[in-house]
Amino acid sequence: MSDAYSAAGRARWWGILAAACVIAVLPLVFRDSYWRTNLIVCALNVMLAIGLDFVVGYAGQLNLGQSAFYGIGAYVSTLLIMRLGLPFWPAFVCGVVASALSGMVLSLFAVRLRGHYLAIASLGFAVITYQVLLNWISLTQGPLGIYGIAPPPPVGLPGWQIDFTDLANLFYLVAGFALLSYVLLDQLVRSPIGETLTAIREDEVSAASLGINARLWKVFAFAVGTAVAGGAGCFYAGFVGTLVPDAFFITESFNILAMVIVGGMGTLSGPVFGAILLTVLPEFLRGIGDLRLIVYGLALTLVVLFMPGGIAQALRLARDRLMRASSRQTAGAKP
Amino acid sequence: MRILPVARLFFVSVLLAAAGSSTALAADMIKIGALFPMSGPGSYFGVQDKQGVELALEALNKSGTKFEIQYEDSACSPLPATQAAKRLIDQYKPDVVIGEECSDATLAVMPVLAQAKVPLLNAGSSSIKITEPGNPWTFRIMPNEVMQGMDIATNAYKRLNAKSAVLLYENTNAGIGNAKVFGDTFTKLGGTILADIGFGRDVNDFTSIATRVTGAGKIDVIPTYTLEGQGLKITQALAQAGVTKGGGGGAIQLGTIWLPFGFEQKAGKAAVGYIRIVQFDPTDQRDQVKNFIQAFKTKYSQDPTHLNAHAYDQIMLIADVVKRGAKDAQSIRDGLAATKDFSGVTGSVAFDEHNQNIKMDTIHYMETLPDLSWKALGWN
Amino acid sequence: MLTVALQQGINGLVLGSLYVLVALGLTLIYGVLVQINFAHADIVTLGAFSAYFFTHAFGGGYLPSIAVALLVGAALGFLINAAVFAPLRERGNELLPLIATIGVSVMLENVMLAWFGPIPYAFDSPYSERVIRFGGMFFTAQSVLIIAVSAAAIGLLYAFMKFTFLGKALRAVAQDRETAGLMGINPNRVIMLTFVIASALAGMGGAMLGPVLVLTPFAGASVIVKAFAIVIIGGFGNVEGTIIAGLIVGLIESYTTQVLGPGLIDIVVFALLLLMLAVRPTGLIAERREENV
Repeated sequence: MSDAYSAAGRARWWGILAAACVIAVLPLVFRDSYWRTNLIVCALNVMLAIGLDFVVGYAGQLNLGQSAFYGIGAYVSTLLIMRLGLPFWPAFVCGVVASALSGMVLSLFAVRLRGHYLAIASLGFAVITYQVLLNWISLTQGPLGIYGIAPPPPVGLPGWQIDFTDLANLFYLVAGFALLSYVLLDQLVRSPIGETLTAIREDEVSAASLGINARLWKVFAFAVGTAVAGGAGCFYAGFVGTLVPDAFFITESFNILAMVIVGGMGTLSGPVFGAILLTVLPEFLRGIGDLRLIVYGLALTLVVLFMPGGIAQALRLARDRLMRASSRQTAGAKP
Repeated sequence: MRILPVARLFFVSVLLAAAGSSTALAADMIKIGALFPMSGPGSYFGVQDKQGVELALEALNKSGTKFEIQYEDSACSPLPATQAAKRLIDQYKPDVVIGEECSDATLAVMPVLAQAKVPLLNAGSSSIKITEPGNPWTFRIMPNEVMQGMDIATNAYKRLNAKSAVLLYENTNAGIGNAKVFGDTFTKLGGTILADIGFGRDVNDFTSIATRVTGAGKIDVIPTYTLEGQGLKITQALAQAGVTKGGGGGAIQLGTIWLPFGFEQKAGKAAVGYIRIVQFDPTDQRDQVKNFIQAFKTKYSQDPTHLNAHAYDQIMLIADVVKRGAKDAQSIRDGLAATKDFSGVTGSVAFDEHNQNIKMDTIHYMETLPDLSWKALGWN
Repeated sequence: MLTVALQQGINGLVLGSLYVLVALGLTLIYGVLVQINFAHADIVTLGAFSAYFFTHAFGGGYLPSIAVALLVGAALGFLINAAVFAPLRERGNELLPLIATIGVSVMLENVMLAWFGPIPYAFDSPYSERVIRFGGMFFTAQSVLIIAVSAAAIGLLYAFMKFTFLGKALRAVAQDRETAGLMGINPNRVIMLTFVIASALAGMGGAMLGPVLVLTPFAGASVIVKAFAIVIIGGFGNVEGTIIAGLIVGLIESYTTQVLGPGLIDIVVFALLLLMLAVRPTGLIAERREENV
């Protein structure tokens, strides 16, 4: 038993190492600024999707407000930098903390509500956040927008400096954080905390009978999931250089949720692939012009209809079939 | 000295490469990249821009110089616009880029294009930040929000003797910016702003806003900054509430160049008395304009709007610069900057040191008559 | 000042009636299926367009066009149920249909964009230009029609639910699907019927909204989020609550415009929503469905 566990654990670390290698190689393969930009967008969306999956897939709390936390991270960090002159990294921490705190505020509703009620409450939260960003012009500039936001400052040792105006380096930074978030969430869901959250998701009443304080853990899940989204928001601002509230409209929440579903809810690796697929797919579809979003909508519907477990399920099926085929082969080889 | 044929071939090709094969290609083919919003509500712009561009290219490619275009959906939003701009630069390698319409998106792509040293020719974004401070690679042929707003406010105060105004505008970069310039200028002249009402682009029913306007006191003018869809509803609601001349009231609705030709026909009687500036005047008697309208009607069997005309002028201005000898990004930029007397269907173009078109003949004041036709007021 | 206040009351009730037409269908679907249909907005839009083309391209009258829109909505509802909700029902996951309908919605919106273009249509109903004035107040004949049609639709819906066998079956399925099945009611049939009725209401709402909305392929999307808020404030699946909540949201909208400015409408409406969820999550009217709270 423990043997199998550690084997699985080792496989997981190999997977993470492989992901790190892929991240290292990607900007070398994609050398033009367009694809490097898309790589960064992928990394941002991966953060948003795994953060949301932690709340929706593991803790079972239907959150339609992820766009709000993305926006809060972006605006809080940018305003601290531009208005109070804070350096990037302290502002980053503040952005993450602000997102997590607002996630905890929303989770107070999750303590009382479930299912679609929570879905609409979180949607309402996202609408209000968007409208505040839009209307509080004296603070956020509203629709007038904030321009010329600098990328994270260069870091490094004397003589060797990493400059984040270079898209490849910025990708390493964002993807590094995405990987870090993944590892942290992965550790969490595999720890007793993950079991606790799953127990709450499956049956809150029996979880309570086991002495689990569901309220506390829901607040915790929201704080973690939205903190990751806040981090993505901080990077978004420095990466795009422009902030307007429209970037954090509620439809962005649906996009992120679609990434989680298409990838496979309740697995961490699935939403990673879902985020990458749904970021890259519309870019590949640019060639077909006006049909682009029709095909995108159709594809999304078909995936849900025919592959409800998402990419994660499809991969599992493929792996099982492969293993069965190979075991049959080995069985056949023996006379 | 004898050179082996192979070596000579090599020598020549190296020379050619050094001279820049791209220049050699560019001499017969000018590549234009277009950043237009083609999806979502912003496609209102993209669809019409594309019509104007296609008409201009069709005419140009019949006569000598070849132009080629690639459209990218920039979605009226900073991140998608940045992605689209980078895609153009990396994969299509344009000599010049035209577009965006929405100020946020234009401002977001400006640094991208400046870094790539590709000129951006903008027509539809009104934010002052695009040319103040702007950058050497961005040009705008439309009068910006300050030029429009100050002009309308001054004319309202001096020619219409307006003393009180209610500002109605969409909560967007352009709406807020334009309304603010009007308000500031009008107050400075001695007028009063009775109410300042901004609304989201998702507001559909303007009866409540019109009702609020009825309670604002005696109103002389109502400057309105919205696009066609909401503009129709506002004009009808104000008339129903009996505020504006179209509804038997005393207030005059003032509008900016955002509304297309044909707006009055859609709005009906409610539009009577509306005074607005148009950048494209279809009643203009210049041959150039007549030909454009005729060609447009033949191709699309409908009347051209200001957006169609803008896009048409953008391409024609590029063609003019090419005719003056420009053949790549750098020379097109220099040619654009040197433009002093281009004459397009929307008016003429001469850029100042910030690359803003300073010709005011692009602003025409029109009043809507009871039969819904236009009367040119000749205020410029 | 009093006239303005009264006038805003009228404006709010007219707008609220429109919201009710959109929200009723959502509530019905939720009540029976416990599902959220995001494509509902696009049924409204398609209803508006079919009424527009019936009147403007084929020269039909406005009143018959409402019936046309109703039929188009019903047909679309049938299709969406058959293609998306029926196959996903067996899986018992509340999220899958939600995401699938987001996909359907993106698809429908962009199909309409390809067909109809983004330029707003001027949908003139013969009633929208006729202004009735009395005592300093005004409203259009269209608003009278909107209130009348909403009231008639609600009345018919009530009669249907109370007095017909299908209506009773529908309520039975809403309360307990398994028991209803044991009683010889075919739940799949009833669910299909719910979808058709809800979507017919949405299509009809589209015809009524057409002359009021900025008619583009995105017209329905601009009211759907508010319709969700109304459904929640009224109590998911509760028809009476939805009607009251729709009217309240309409009134909030007109008075917020008057006092605070139209930019703050959504903040006020959704703050009320969150307040409701915090204080009385069962909605305005006490609700039998407890398991979601």
